[in-house]
Amino acid sequence: MKKIFLSIVLAVFFSTGVFAAEGPTDQLRPTLDQLIKILSDASLKGDAKKVERREKIMAVVSGRFDFKEMSKRVLGKTWSEITPEQQAHFTTLMTKLLENNYIGQLEGYSGETVEYTGERVKDGRAQVSTLVENNGSKFPVHYILLQEGTNWVVYDVNIEGVSLIRNYRAEFSSILRKDGYDGLVKTIEEKNKSLE
Amino acid sequence: MKKIVVITLTFCFFAAGAMAAEEKTSSAVPDLLQDDVFLEDDYDAQDDALVISDPLEPMNRAFFSFNDRLYFWVLKPVKTGYSYVVPRDIRDCVGNFFRNLAAPIRLVNALLQGRFSDAGGVVSRFVINSTLGVYGFADVAKIEFDIQPQRADFGQTMGFYGIGEGIYICWPILGPATVRSTTGRLGEAFFYPVSYLDLTWSQTIVAYGYDKLNTLSLSGDIYEDFTKYSLDPYVAARQAFYDYRRNLVKKAQGQENNFIDEP
Repeated sequence: MKKIFLSIVLAVFFSTGVFAAEGPTDQLRPTLDQLIKILSDASLKGDAKKVERREKIMAVVSGRFDFKEMSKRVLGKTWSEITPEQQAHFTTLMTKLLENNYIGQLEGYSGETVEYTGERVKDGRAQVSTLVENNGSKFPVHYILLQEGTNWVVYDVNIEGVSLIRNYRAEFSSILRKDGYDGLVKTIEEKNKSLE
Repeated sequence: MKKIVVITLTFCFFAAGAMAAEEKTSSAVPDLLQDDVFLEDDYDAQDDALVISDPLEPMNRAFFSFNDRLYFWVLKPVKTGYSYVVPRDIRDCVGNFFRNLAAPIRLVNALLQGRFSDAGGVVSRFVINSTLGVYGFADVAKIEFDIQPQRADFGQTMGFYGIGEGIYICWPILGPATVRSTTGRLGEAFFYPVSYLDLTWSQTIVAYGYDKLNTLSLSGDIYEDFTKYSLDPYVAARQAFYDYRRNLVKKAQGQENNFIDEP
């Protein structure tokens, strides 16, 4: 009897790890760590190395950032009104725009560490809060994630309440109203070209 | 009997393990999961509270363009020259001085919002920085005592009490605002020491202007970066302003309690 009790207790103690399935922060952390590593790599800094650096970064983040989900949310109702080919094309454009925006801004930051300040999970969505340092001041960057199976993927980045996706969505609504879907696509293509 | 005890204990261990693995929430970070209005089916059903009212858009766009040109033609060169001449440390001190002066505003608003511990922080910072920090030039409270600066303003207080934002106004020179934030700023003038000095209009403008110039010189290329990545900078600025202000109100409301997730 004692032996059975002891083995059950031991089994339970070892297995409590099983209940903590990899949470959003645990999944996001390696991606951000690798991202920071590439950004701080001296051999990859500067304009000359931009293409190579960006390629490396995108390879790292594509698994964790769901650009298709972001594109869907940014277009809203219009997403269901366009063809699958248009959706695929739009996702490519959006990926480039977000790459330029998010990565472009990170490239300018002096700080090289990310502090994790909290995590919130609710109904298959999660929020991972971090602190980023730039020029001596720290400011919060929150990643909003969606659960796809056991995988947590980022679909929004929020700084001090300003959401990347909500911001682009507002801009796009305004352009869609004025110039229609084709006008919007053209505007994004031009913007991406100007950021080359 | 022994078997029952064993089974019960085992069950308790399993339950404890499951609870330990549950969400860790932190009351210090804002809850951004409360509104998820981006699913395509819900686009038209967007929460009324989140809609931005901008009936004056043509006029606002004109002022926004004016501000944009003012920035690139006047403010940026002046800011660059100023940053070149005055070292960063000194500009930080000037910034600290002006921020310290505005302590009464933050104190009143923190109290009105029921943020008593933040109000205490404002008082501590003001006392420490005015004395040890020599009239507020040095932020001793943050560096030596780790008492972080807090934000509290009248616009935020009004939002805290449920007063609506009103329409969007892009003021020339002053930039994005709402009816509420503008009213807030006007109210703040009553608590700002500079208003009580016997200054002429031009002296007042110089005082406010210098504070703004100094702050601008410390904030790097924020405006350039912001407009660089936007396809419609006017809308981007409007949206960012609303999101930022709404977040401040949320912060004020959540400060005393843990963030309670609404259904």
